[in-house]
Amino acid sequence: MVAPLYTTASGLLFHAGKILVLTIGLPARGKTHISRALERYLRWMGVKTQVVSLGDYRRKALGGAHKVPHDYFTPGEKSPETIALRKKISDGCEQTIWEFFNAGGQVVIYDANNGAKATRDAIANRFESSGIHVVMLESLCDNKEIIENNIRSVKISSPDYRGWDPDKAVADYYNRIRENERHYQSINDYDWPSIKIVNVGEKIIMNHIQGYLQSRIIFFLMNIHNRFRTIYFARSGQSLIEHSYKADSDLSPSGWEYAATLKDYVLERRAKSLEARGIDPTSRKLVIWTSTRRRAAHTAWPFVAATHGTQAAHVPDIVVPDGDDSAFLESPIAEYGEASKMVPPPMPSKIKIVEKPQMLEINPGIWDGLSPDQAKKYYPADWDRFVKDPYSFRAPRAESYHDLSVRLEPIIVELEREQEDLLIIGHASVIRCLLAYLIGLPASEIPAIEIARGDLLEVVPASYGVQSHQYHFWDGPGRSKDGEPADVRDAHNFYENYAEDTKGKRKVLLEDALQLASESSETPAVPSEGTSPPVVPVA
Amino acid sequence: MTGSQAESTPATVASPPNTTLDAAADNDHPLALHSETSRAISDKLQRVTGVLQDMADVVNAETAAALEGIPVPGEGVGGREDIANAPMSPGIPPAAFGAGGPMLKQFDESTVVSRRGSAAGTPPMSVKGIGNKVAKPDYSESKIVVAMVGLPARGKSYLSNKLMIYLKWLEYNVQVFNVGQLRRTRAKQKAQQSGVKEEHNASWFSHANQQANNSRDQLAHDSLEMLIQWLKDGGNVGIHDATNSTRARRGSIEARVAKEPDFHLIFLESFCDDPAVIAANVALKVSSGDPDYKDMPPEVAKRDFLRRISEYEKVYETITEPHLSYVRISRIAFYLMNLHLKPRSIFMSRHGESQFNVAGKIGGDSLLSPRGMQYAAALPALITDNIGDAQLTVWTSTLRRTIQTAEQLPYPKLTWKSLDELDAGVCDGMTYEEIEQAYPDDFANRDDDKFNYRYRGGESYRDVVVRLEPVIMELERQENILIVGHQAILRGLYAYFHNLPQEELPYLKIPLHTVIKLTPKAYGCDEERYTLPIQAVDTHRPKPKSTSPVVIPSTARQYYVPSS
Repeated sequence: MVAPLYTTASGLLFHAGKILVLTIGLPARGKTHISRALERYLRWMGVKTQVVSLGDYRRKALGGAHKVPHDYFTPGEKSPETIALRKKISDGCEQTIWEFFNAGGQVVIYDANNGAKATRDAIANRFESSGIHVVMLESLCDNKEIIENNIRSVKISSPDYRGWDPDKAVADYYNRIRENERHYQSINDYDWPSIKIVNVGEKIIMNHIQGYLQSRIIFFLMNIHNRFRTIYFARSGQSLIEHSYKADSDLSPSGWEYAATLKDYVLERRAKSLEARGIDPTSRKLVIWTSTRRRAAHTAWPFVAATHGTQAAHVPDIVVPDGDDSAFLESPIAEYGEASKMVPPPMPSKIKIVEKPQMLEINPGIWDGLSPDQAKKYYPADWDRFVKDPYSFRAPRAESYHDLSVRLEPIIVELEREQEDLLIIGHASVIRCLLAYLIGLPASEIPAIEIARGDLLEVVPASYGVQSHQYHFWDGPGRSKDGEPADVRDAHNFYENYAEDTKGKRKVLLEDALQLASESSETPAVPSEGTSPPVVPVA
Repeated sequence: MTGSQAESTPATVASPPNTTLDAAADNDHPLALHSETSRAISDKLQRVTGVLQDMADVVNAETAAALEGIPVPGEGVGGREDIANAPMSPGIPPAAFGAGGPMLKQFDESTVVSRRGSAAGTPPMSVKGIGNKVAKPDYSESKIVVAMVGLPARGKSYLSNKLMIYLKWLEYNVQVFNVGQLRRTRAKQKAQQSGVKEEHNASWFSHANQQANNSRDQLAHDSLEMLIQWLKDGGNVGIHDATNSTRARRGSIEARVAKEPDFHLIFLESFCDDPAVIAANVALKVSSGDPDYKDMPPEVAKRDFLRRISEYEKVYETITEPHLSYVRISRIAFYLMNLHLKPRSIFMSRHGESQFNVAGKIGGDSLLSPRGMQYAAALPALITDNIGDAQLTVWTSTLRRTIQTAEQLPYPKLTWKSLDELDAGVCDGMTYEEIEQAYPDDFANRDDDKFNYRYRGGESYRDVVVRLEPVIMELERQENILIVGHQAILRGLYAYFHNLPQEELPYLKIPLHTVIKLTPKAYGCDEERYTLPIQAVDTHRPKPKSTSPVVIPSTARQYYVPSS
């Protein structure tokens, strides 16, 4: 079971103790990828976790590769000054680790090469003697392609090589690896609890791993991979009775129209994104997850129709009632609609749709069927507590966002494991939790993440976090603008239930959220690969 | 509380929306859809929503007026206590879409036209009624061969069995193909036919014995063929429970499975080099009635078994083949021993009789009845007498009847949202009689297939099983636990520990005021029941005997199911 259940006043999971994970591996073996993924997962579970990266520390202390002494990474004897410098860096990292533990931290992942057995044993002994459990985590890689890929996509874009010619940077990096190889000692003893990961999850070997948190770590590591894939998020279409959880109502006409537009847009967007990376969109599968609620499952219906016969795929155009809202018709969305009819986007090789009961929207309990105003009116005291702490407060018989996060934990693991492109058609509350996990947002921000209907979020997991883009593809009843219902005719009907509509203390727009994530971590959550800014709202 | 409001003020609720809804029926243009119709529908829905809203407001205003002087609900937990003591008490806004009131039906009737209007291709059916049967998830794509690897007495069968029970509970079709059993079955047949009993002592397992080698190869081969055929016939996970101890053997398994498209092969090696652990496992095997040693004195059996192990050790090659998918575990044997030496128990109890139990209502969040309170007072002595000084943790749901039941227990307590009772959705707070009266067809459908029936806006038993999966994982890890839970929840957990089929799950007898003690053993659970002499209503509804023809529910979703 996911851990937040056990969150205690001290911030430590009971009987789990403090854990130091020492990564071991040659450069470009995916240590950072694994460390960051693990940190994200443990933090999401409520464990105070920190990656301490030797590389980051060195860069901070000394500057990029240009600034380090010439013999810092190169083969051969090192000058006394360099040896002292290296020691200073490693002592500084250890100091950082101690500080985090002393400040109430529970898990530190020490992201460094740690290739020399004597050195890592010495570090482990120092922490072990203070009652900290040490786990050795070795990342091995014999797949040249993974290594080369890693160097090209991650390493040479690191600050060490800012302004370098790419090929020279790669050559330099291979030199660095060779230097390390000469002294590298793989784990081949049973002195410490250890985990060996081969080719980022292809194979996992563990030894003497015991304890709750340790086994969670293993379970998680067994599910991660680094195959390129894209995750899309979209809200379900508007339903007939949006504010009732129990009524489980079907889509409204506007909801059906939304569903059809979503299908076209996702297929087109996905095709563009894959083609931009040189991948044939028809060569890959698309997996769609929805909840078991009708409004979510039926939003995926046009995909079902599209996979079984061409004519069935065509959903009659439901023109948004024009009235005085000519703006809708002039929007780029309308143009898009025209364009899509001419050239149907390439289909994935297969579309698979899975309904998941864990992905139900947040349960509003006794507040079901009430508007926020009504809830406030009939339950003023509860409402106040809810507004003060929308993440943890649980209305009678309802779920808090915390409960929802716990419920979604198996989905998080499946999300990591899924290798195909994934479209999640979900309720706002569910998308909030999943996004918060992927981006690495603190729990308290979850209820305030803004997820507008009509936006498609494209998330690409990368080594240091995720890259995320937001596309606006639809306007109509059921989409709110700036917190106000866009279409006044549906004033009662734009949110799914009170908690789905939570704005919390302040509104977190996705752009802000991504910004926040990059501030909260030393390494940017969104690597600046120079291609595009993290969030590109479509005009 | 669902629907109770509507009952208490029927006059108010029954009147309004009919006029508006009738108008909707005029726009009856099947499939053809143009902006005019959609606008009309949109407007009508708009009005329906508005009317419902107004209705709620009227009801609330009236009840508020009628109840002047009664404290406003929602003063934190304390404030709600009063309300719960009188679950019908007004002042709480009505749950507009509970099946107890007329709104749900009116809503369903009003929206038929909207579906027709926006229909595409062969769309899913409209939503009506209080629930529907939900098909099992499609697992037909999962075809996995799990081949065990390991010397004898390393806990391979234990692991196979555990894995099978867990995956079966999650509705995968799993079977263990135990080569040892096949060997014994074949030998028995042979003995019956020829009258010659084949001795399967240690020398039969020697790799120097060429004839036996051939027989063993044949057995492994046959058992793999049976497994593959079974997977082709619809199985999901076939577990090949054999030593598979040489590279050559694993290579032949790999080659065979590779011939089947979309089959996945995983090797699972149970490895152990701790002599103490192995000795404990050997002792367990010899004493626990292994059929090979049925009529042998334990000492002789043990000697022969150790010899058998050493025969295997001579040729054993641990998995190192880099191209294979494998898991190598050294913990299982340890775990097995742990279980053997350090028994622990899982206690399960439903909450004490609740006020809703007495009233015959389902769901809700009521407090205990006076008899339920007696149970809560008597429970601590029962548990403490049973476990003495041992440690124990109490798990409850977040519902008040379980928290109240556990209140006096002198142990640490945790509340789990995942242990909350099956959500009856729109039927929450109703009696079965009320449901039957309002929705006779739906009611019959649920009785017909209770496991697969999902209450509208609520859950099915399958949903509950999915929700309980993390609880099971945690239970496997924990020591003494007392779960104070609910009927459907405990049925799910109980079925897991006893490996019971899902059809039986919704009908398991978990009476009130009874503690069930389960003590997991290597291949099953010991069970004891302690019933306290405190009367309680019987909430068990047996499966109706009548084998009436299966009614295909009109509310079922008609998704296209791909044939492949």
